[in-house]
Amino acid sequence: MKYISPMQQLAVVPVEEDSGVGQDSKIIRRYLEDLTADYYKPLSRQWANPAIRFSNLEKEWKESTPMLSSITDIVMHPSYQQIIGMGPTAIPLIFLSMRRELGHWFWALVAITGENPVSIEHRGKIKEMTNAWLDWGRKQLYLE
Amino acid sequence: METFFPMLQSSAYKVTSPATIEYNCIAWAAGDTETWWWPDPFDQYFWPSGILREETMDAFVKAFEFLGYTICRDANCETGYEKVAIYAKIDGRPTHAARQIDSEKWTSKIGSLEDIEHGINSLSGDIYGEPIVYMKRPKR
Repeated sequence: MKYISPMQQLAVVPVEEDSGVGQDSKIIRRYLEDLTADYYKPLSRQWANPAIRFSNLEKEWKESTPMLSSITDIVMHPSYQQIIGMGPTAIPLIFLSMRRELGHWFWALVAITGENPVSIEHRGKIKEMTNAWLDWGRKQLYLE
Repeated sequence: METFFPMLQSSAYKVTSPATIEYNCIAWAAGDTETWWWPDPFDQYFWPSGILREETMDAFVKAFEFLGYTICRDANCETGYEKVAIYAKIDGRPTHAARQIDSEKWTSKIGSLEDIEHGINSLSGDIYGEPIVYMKRPKR
């Protein structure tokens, strides 16, 4: 007999519209279905998920470059280059990362967008550069 | 820190600040704790006005000349002077700068990590290369 995990069992329980199941239960059921699907999804398909891909690349990049001062070396890291290669898909993910933690995302943003909202007097001021880009992101509706 | 710079394992060094991304080694050597200095071609980071924005020893020497430093012969402590050391890889590309504290100790900001006090050769290796150029100016 095929083993069905408790999570799968929960996910496959049919829910009738008139079964008396509340809205909260339906939401929880939907989350469980998503969780189950993600659990069984092959790694290759997870890689195709931009958010997962970005997160993995960001982690590799940040772990490999914290001791570097050379911006060229920092942004030429293969993981950073792959993030640039993701193109516009990466923009909202970069902004979310910038809101969480300061980082050297400016090259990637300039490369992908062709824009540069950082004023000359703020060059090298990481907080001000970040704020300039986040303001730009809000104006372009990448952020609320 | 020792993972990146194995020579620190066999020498005395001390972490002297919290980690921050707000300034880097060049800024720290120049006495600035608010700015990331680098001559990047995208013109994103600070570099002294009028100095060539390129990753060459010549551009880095000129940046420190802008601050009143002149090239000197070695890392030896000289009374009345403060010194900086510019590190470069074997291809000549600058990677790092450190500032002298006394005859034994130098201070460096390590990328986006902490400031440390260390021996002049403790950071030598694959990542920073070696200290190649020393510069000095009268103490201020």
